[in-house]
Amino acid sequence: MNIKHTVIQRFNRVISRALLAVCTISLGMNAGAEDLDDVDQIVQKANLAAFYSGVDGRAETRMQIVDEQGRKQTRQFTILRRDHRDGGDQQYLVFFSYPADIRGTLFLVEKHPGNDDDRWLYLPGLDLVKRIAAGDKRTSFVGSDFFYEDVSGRGITEDHHHLVSTSDQFYVVQNRPKDSINVEFSEYTVWIDKQTFMPMKTEYTDNSGKIYRRVEALQVQIIQGFPTATRMKVSNLRTGGYTLNEMRFIHYDMGIPADLFSERSLRNPPRQWLKRPKPAN
Amino acid sequence: MGNRIVTFSLNNPKRVMWFVAIMVVILAAMFPRIHVDTDPENMLPTDQSDRVVHNTLKKQFSLHDMIVVGVVNDTHADGIYNHNSLAAIHQLSSAIEQIDGVIREDLRSLATADNVTQEGAGTIRFEWMMNQAPKTQQAVSRIKEAVNHLPMLQNTLVSGDGKAAGIYVPIVEKDQSYRIAEQIREIITSLDSDDQFHITGLPIAEDTFGVEMFKQMAISAPLAGLVIFIMLWIFFRNLSLIIAPMLMAMAVVISTMGLLIGMGYTVHIMSSMIPIFLMPIAVVDSVHLLSEFADRYKPGKSPKQVVTEVMEHLFTPMLFTSVTSSIGFASLALTPIPPVQVFGIYTALGIALAFVLTVTFIPAYIALLSEKKLATLGSRLHEQESHGLLAKALPHVGDFSIHHARIILPLVIILFSVSVYGISKIQINDNPVYWFDEQHEIQVADRALNSHFAGTYNAFLVLTHESAESVIPTKQIEQWIQRAKKRGVDLTADWAAIQKRIETEQENPLEALNYELQVQLFNAEIDSLDYWQELADMVGTAITDRKYFQKPDALHYIESLQQALDESGYVGKSSAITDLVKTVYRELLGGDQQNYRIPTTSNAVAQTILSFQGSHRPQDLWHMVTPSYHSAAIWLQLNSGDNIDMTKVIQFVERYVEQNPLPDNVRMDWGGLTYINVVWQDEMVTGMVGSLIGAFLAVGLIMILLFRSVTFGLLAMIPLTVTITLIYGVIGFIGKDYDMPVAILSSLTLGLSVDFAIHFLERTRSLYKETGDWLEALKQMYQEPARAISRNAIVIAIGFTPLLLAPLTPYQTVGIFLAAIMAISCVVTFVALPAVIRLIHPWLK
Repeated sequence: MNIKHTVIQRFNRVISRALLAVCTISLGMNAGAEDLDDVDQIVQKANLAAFYSGVDGRAETRMQIVDEQGRKQTRQFTILRRDHRDGGDQQYLVFFSYPADIRGTLFLVEKHPGNDDDRWLYLPGLDLVKRIAAGDKRTSFVGSDFFYEDVSGRGITEDHHHLVSTSDQFYVVQNRPKDSINVEFSEYTVWIDKQTFMPMKTEYTDNSGKIYRRVEALQVQIIQGFPTATRMKVSNLRTGGYTLNEMRFIHYDMGIPADLFSERSLRNPPRQWLKRPKPAN
Repeated sequence: MGNRIVTFSLNNPKRVMWFVAIMVVILAAMFPRIHVDTDPENMLPTDQSDRVVHNTLKKQFSLHDMIVVGVVNDTHADGIYNHNSLAAIHQLSSAIEQIDGVIREDLRSLATADNVTQEGAGTIRFEWMMNQAPKTQQAVSRIKEAVNHLPMLQNTLVSGDGKAAGIYVPIVEKDQSYRIAEQIREIITSLDSDDQFHITGLPIAEDTFGVEMFKQMAISAPLAGLVIFIMLWIFFRNLSLIIAPMLMAMAVVISTMGLLIGMGYTVHIMSSMIPIFLMPIAVVDSVHLLSEFADRYKPGKSPKQVVTEVMEHLFTPMLFTSVTSSIGFASLALTPIPPVQVFGIYTALGIALAFVLTVTFIPAYIALLSEKKLATLGSRLHEQESHGLLAKALPHVGDFSIHHARIILPLVIILFSVSVYGISKIQINDNPVYWFDEQHEIQVADRALNSHFAGTYNAFLVLTHESAESVIPTKQIEQWIQRAKKRGVDLTADWAAIQKRIETEQENPLEALNYELQVQLFNAEIDSLDYWQELADMVGTAITDRKYFQKPDALHYIESLQQALDESGYVGKSSAITDLVKTVYRELLGGDQQNYRIPTTSNAVAQTILSFQGSHRPQDLWHMVTPSYHSAAIWLQLNSGDNIDMTKVIQFVERYVEQNPLPDNVRMDWGGLTYINVVWQDEMVTGMVGSLIGAFLAVGLIMILLFRSVTFGLLAMIPLTVTITLIYGVIGFIGKDYDMPVAILSSLTLGLSVDFAIHFLERTRSLYKETGDWLEALKQMYQEPARAISRNAIVIAIGFTPLLLAPLTPYQTVGIFLAAIMAISCVVTFVALPAVIRLIHPWLK
């Protein structure tokens, strides 16, 4: 009976992958819409596509940090997210499950686009809840090549945008920071997929005119109708190190309650939401 | 044999000239292929164990060679804590970041530092320390306060007295440091600042030395040549004649260097000195030759005939002096230091070539001279003969030595004994910064920065935990599969698949298993998820257990060692993972100094580090510990790069570890340029002693063979022995460090000081054959033969005085000691040898 069960599951998996492929292709063929030429509209749509899918969401993430010598470190965590309003404030809860020595560490983030976020940290080993203030959002996310801003999104009002070109596939948008003191780049360019509005590639240029950092969406899947970057890579072009981010078990619109994103959850993690949900079938 | 060569050259002068010219041209054509190597690290073979470890550690901890830029403000009450200085630091730091070859990520200055502070109750704040120049006095004070609060920055980024700030510039390769430093200097001149700026660090000293070395080769060596030329002119007063040794010396230097370059060797600090060593040695033989020639040549005589006569009794002593000098240098091949070996072998080759040219090129040259040109020679020299200072003084010296033999000998013995005592006081020490003049900007910068800071010299002490516990716990996994089976979950197939995937992994199977489990966990079906999680937790815990330098006990060991080092006074400052953990832990707990300590559990340490990794510079962590936490590095800043001071640190740590044994399975290694310098110095000193003894014995043996007499052989060794002992005795007494150039000089002494003795004894013996009386022979010896020897000594001693003007101290040292060697061995030969002969002549044959 066990064997039978697995066979059915495998069959299901094959079917769902096939369906996904079909979806991706049909989206690709849906290229009838006219090109946009309003850069603000493009940036807005990209922001929503990348960070505001559904009202809420849950994903299990594995992050592999690879340094310039090829030495690997792995981190695993579950992200719960809830939006107050599309394009506006958001709440995040990040629960670390691996490595064992940081298991149970939690981040709670109240994201305020255009303003300082509120961040809390719970460290079980110290049994300590700490509020974290940061001068900027471009600090490393747990030692990886991702910045906080890459995980939760950069406020679209923080840059001057400029539509550089429009190809068959991409809107290429160049962005210059309004406040250049608190960022380490002098500009960055984003390749936005014309169909899904997913930012597929972002390249950062430093003050000596060199591209030193690249963020890529290596794989985009349609989940519950939302295009979702399930494999992302951030490369540090100066050192040759990179971080690979893979997401699985993604669910949107689960009805996660707002009060879950409170300091209380830090010491008492919401087990039922962190547990992997049963497949819908 | 010798005769035939000389005769051939005399008869075919043009052919000889052509041959030499072609050889020089071909070898000179190699010069463009020159590859300069100023890296003292290359004093060690690439596979030398300390060097291998040093490079492994550098890679493991992503450490780079560093240039240190210092900003000093002595006038402002708050030192560099003022708008202008901080603005200059900010501007300078951002400009340096953009220079090619600078490793931007790892540049450390106030402008790139991260700050951790308290912000109200329960809030910790991470922000850049100074991402723009502070505009208000308040902002300046905040920076000062923050630096003083962070032990990792204090006395590294800003000196303890607040008067100096440092910018630590890691660079891709040491050999780019001169260029980068030049670019930094350019930026500094464009700054609007009254502060003093200094650039230092071992890579700069080393690379700058390489650049200046070339200037020296281009200026000092020709200048020395010029002075030698003038001296020859004073003695011989015949331009056409003295051009010969000059041309020959040039031919020798160009050919030897061309050969060295053509053979693919790099021109190292050592080999750059070859021209300076070869020049005098090449000229020595021809001075003997020309002296005799001038003495014997009278207008109307056939020059060829005179040359043949002279060669008849000079060929053997010249051959032997060349052989002994060559041996002195070739013996350097016995030292385990590649650049010293190359130096020794090529100098030896150069000496051999000089001999060959002396017996071919010089006769050929003379054969080509017209009688007219030679005419002036004899008269002037003969005039000088009877009136010259040498001619007047030397016979008195001879008389004195012969008549006071009983006083002279005890004096020599006393002098010798005192020198031996002096040698025992020799201090072995070197520091690449001392290779520059005291006024050189590198030494000035070195003094200025090291008086303010914890130190600009780096050494690394690395502890590594070697654990054998990386085996997969098969038994526990069996039980785990059984447990699952009982509850109806079959994991056998999946486990078999994982096992198959990791079976090739020999090095770290546990880590590989962990990776596979994470993949499995990520894709696992809901019913088996809990089981996989259980196994992953088990393996994860095993891996965490192996994160040795995350354990409080391990960190405490490092902390105590650091504390002992800091208290010893031998190091300016030590930094390690412990400082980072303690600082972040203190800030997490509210910033109270009482919490400046290592947390009590491994997990607490891990989570403290995780908090740090949310900063702007998480990469700093991996300079202190490897990602597996198996190795941890302690960065030692020393304010002296003297090998003697580094040695004290090494000995202190050795003693400490003896009294406080390393934890089980923990190994300790050293790295860092300051340490490497000590290693090659030790190898060089022991190596040099070996070569010196080897060469001494070889030369002694050759002397016995040459004179076919043990007595004469030993006699010939007297001036050499006394000179070497005296020179090194003096070095011991005056407290001059025994460094690289001094070490090399031992071979030069050996080679050159025996020359005079060979000529002296050879001539005395042939005079004895003529006269049948030793005392009469000695008396005649102090005529023409003694003059030739003294001329040589004077030419070389004075010829190298231009080296004293060089801004590089190794060249100065060589200049001074060459003069001293010449003077002393000449005097000893003239004074001690006749005294001994006087005493033992009844038994001499």
